[in-house]
Amino acid sequence: MQLSATSELERAILRSQGAGPDVAILAGDFEALVRLYRPKVFRFALASLRDLDAAETVTQDCFLRAYQTRACFRQDCSMHTWLMQIAVNLIRDHVRNRRFQFWRRLNRTAKGLDVAGHAIADGARSPEMQALFNERVAAIWTAAERLPEKQRAVFLLRFVEDMDLLEIAAATGMKEGTVKTHLFRALRAVRERLGERI
Amino acid sequence: MIAHLSSEQLAEYIVGYPSPIVAQHLQDCPACRAEVVNFREALGDFRWAVRGWSEDRANEYQASAAPAIPAAVPEPRWWTPSHQLAGAVLIAVVCIIASFVMPRHSEKVAGSDAVLLNQVDAQVSRTVPSSMEPLMKLVVQK
Repeated sequence: MQLSATSELERAILRSQGAGPDVAILAGDFEALVRLYRPKVFRFALASLRDLDAAETVTQDCFLRAYQTRACFRQDCSMHTWLMQIAVNLIRDHVRNRRFQFWRRLNRTAKGLDVAGHAIADGARSPEMQALFNERVAAIWTAAERLPEKQRAVFLLRFVEDMDLLEIAAATGMKEGTVKTHLFRALRAVRERLGERI
Repeated sequence: MIAHLSSEQLAEYIVGYPSPIVAQHLQDCPACRAEVVNFREALGDFRWAVRGWSEDRANEYQASAAPAIPAAVPEPRWWTPSHQLAGAVLIAVVCIIASFVMPRHSEKVAGSDAVLLNQVDAQVSRTVPSSMEPLMKLVVQK
């Protein structure tokens, strides 16, 4: 990555510009930040968009935007929440742009990017347990895909990224009560889907 | 005492904000308790599956996006005797050709220089410039 090669230079620039210590730390540790949070951002983007190229683009854009706006990071939330906030916005923009791109939807379907089809074998499980596991995962995966955009974002942030309600509220720009409402609705839809399939 | 938990009440519990009535009911009702455990397990499975899947996709993507390392090209070895001999022959040929071409070229240059100097000399030795010659003829006729 280009940033890694220039991190020393960036630090020097920030020092010369008299930037605050937080900004300097952020710039100095940006490479570590990418290493630490990239898998999480990518995972969230991939689970939201279900498109490998789009998820990669969103992840790169997320860190680029984070780097460009690092001076605006006020540290009123964690770095993880801040990055997720950027990712949520990028994913939302991406979904809106994609809405009318029929060929992309077609392409995505053709690729069959599906967590349920992904072979996850665990030696500790019996074949029956493995079948149940696959069935459950497939049901939730399908239910999550059918959720409205905000509910899906909230659901994935809570149950894949393990974020609490306050963090989700900060990342999505919603009030805590609204997050809770979306989460309840999402869970109801998922449970209904689980009940149908299992 | 409520009959069984509704979807909303179950969601309340799963999210982590159960009302006292829901918490009490779960203590008393094994069926709802089993339902909660089952749902939690399913969500845990989903988390585990998505994480593993995402990790695999990321690895695949990076592997496919990584540029192919070109095969090492052996550096030309100029110090081999055959190369040295070929180089010496080439230089000798170039020197021989140059020795034939260069004098002729210098002779041509010298010849063209002499013609040019003669022309300059003719121009300079005129009494009047060439543009004034027609006027001079008129003057002579008068």
